[in-house]
Amino acid sequence: MFAESALNVRNKRVQNLYRILFLMMTVLLVIPVIIILSTLIAKGGSIISIDFLFTDPTNGMTAGGIFPALLGTVWIVAVALLASVPLGVAAAIYLNEYAGDNWFTRMIQLAIINLAGVPSIVHALFGVGAFVIFFGFGTSILAASLTLAIMTLPVVIVSTRESLRAVPQAFREACWNMGATRWQTIKRVVLPNAVSGILTGVILEVSRTTGETAPIMFTGAAFFLPFLPQSVFDQTMALSLHLFVVATQVPGVPENLPYGVALVLIAMVLLMNSISIAFRMYLRGKKKW
Amino acid sequence: MRKISYAISVAASSLFIAFTAQAADRTVIQNKGSDTLVNVAQAWAEAYGGVDANVAVAVSGGGSGTGIAAMINGTVDIANASRQMKNKELKLAKSKGQDPIEHVVGYDALAVFIHQDNPADTLDYDQLKSVFGRGGKATKWSDLGLKVPGCKGDEIVVVSRQNNSGTYAYFKKEVLGKKGKYRQGTLDMHGSKDVVDLVEKTPCAIGYSGLAYATDHIKMACIMKDGGDCVTPSVETASDRSYPIARPLFMYTNGEPQGAIKTYLDWVKSDEGQCILLEKGYAPVRGVSCN
Repeated sequence: MFAESALNVRNKRVQNLYRILFLMMTVLLVIPVIIILSTLIAKGGSIISIDFLFTDPTNGMTAGGIFPALLGTVWIVAVALLASVPLGVAAAIYLNEYAGDNWFTRMIQLAIINLAGVPSIVHALFGVGAFVIFFGFGTSILAASLTLAIMTLPVVIVSTRESLRAVPQAFREACWNMGATRWQTIKRVVLPNAVSGILTGVILEVSRTTGETAPIMFTGAAFFLPFLPQSVFDQTMALSLHLFVVATQVPGVPENLPYGVALVLIAMVLLMNSISIAFRMYLRGKKKW
Repeated sequence: MRKISYAISVAASSLFIAFTAQAADRTVIQNKGSDTLVNVAQAWAEAYGGVDANVAVAVSGGGSGTGIAAMINGTVDIANASRQMKNKELKLAKSKGQDPIEHVVGYDALAVFIHQDNPADTLDYDQLKSVFGRGGKATKWSDLGLKVPGCKGDEIVVVSRQNNSGTYAYFKKEVLGKKGKYRQGTLDMHGSKDVVDLVEKTPCAIGYSGLAYATDHIKMACIMKDGGDCVTPSVETASDRSYPIARPLFMYTNGEPQGAIKTYLDWVKSDEGQCILLEKGYAPVRGVSCN
């Protein structure tokens, strides 16, 4: 029989110790999520109703619903997507499929990485200078969405590149050998196989745009608006700014109102994320390799 | 793939149509500035929807400085301010082709807030100076001859505002004098409500904020100036100007107001508008009877 030496015993003990340590770290990670969600549901759940979601705020924003803010957030996110997805996907296709490995490409990559590191308040001030004043859009949905689009471009570019890279090189080579051009290959082979990854990036962008406050505060979101936006040149209320306002600016707000707004905001993000996960699983199931 | 791109293009074009469909004839008045005025400005904007449905007032906060800067840059129709524009700012505005006209739309009393367990009832200007002013002698509550229950270190926690706030500028000018400066190490809050929230929870704290932000769980000091009787801040004492730390609230327009902006400002100054102001805890510009 093989007897365990002292060294074996010690190794096993150390191994168990680390496993438990890392397990505890992982559990620690989940705790804040659980605490945040349960607090929000406990304190804000009572206010959530169809009326709360679909009516205007009343009585100095201390009562009523959040519809203008909810709709405003949908507008801002939709316009930001329209601007950043085509741009980001096109840039990623160029970088991954066409560009050679030279100083120009490396400089672009450096720029993208740096763009991702710029703090959101700096993006906000850039948005005021560029879109609100220079391009003359005024404080509007368009200005706010373009600011957000620039802020989230790196997310779209990087995730699209990753999913393009994941398509095996052999697929492209096979296609080229059939006499297809580069563009035909991209359109018929690369993109269809990369679409699930691209969508993941898009959804990530949506959840980030939904929650941002600083970039829209100066460029398009208002404290209060008595009308719903009709075009991209209108100002709008937004859920994230509305949460800031009812939590810190307005006296006499019932306690469950800010928690309710926060709950709606987080529910929107979680919903988007789950849709993305479901969609990705569906598309992955259809993959041929 | 074809199906997906078809779906995307349909979605995109329908969004595009929705976005380009222009609104009906609606006049939008841009109104931005003072955090002190933002809640009453919001209440006015909300109520004005019932007066004239074709005029919409878009309200943003940010502080008097933000509103005045926007007026100078010509990006607002009405700037809210809880202080007067400085000569320097007026000159800058003129050089950019703007002509700011001042309108007084109400009065605001600045209350000195202390924790409800704080035994202090009256405070005079000298005491306030020694607490808030640079080089002031009072750093502990015992320096004022007070024992505050629940305040362990006896240290006074001085709560102030960020320096682009009109409230900050007015309190400094009125209480600390023209050349006065705030002491270093104050807690500078970014909103009128934040000051009240903090003082409410902190036994050692003292802070100033608009009377309108008072709650039932906080104490307001009765203020003595120049050895006179002490006056408690209230809408009445602000209106009759007997309370010393009360200031006018301004709206600035670019040139004499015209059209929709004039109608709106006239309505703000009317009995209906002033009653909304009163309801929000500010003092009206003249006696009004509200039900």
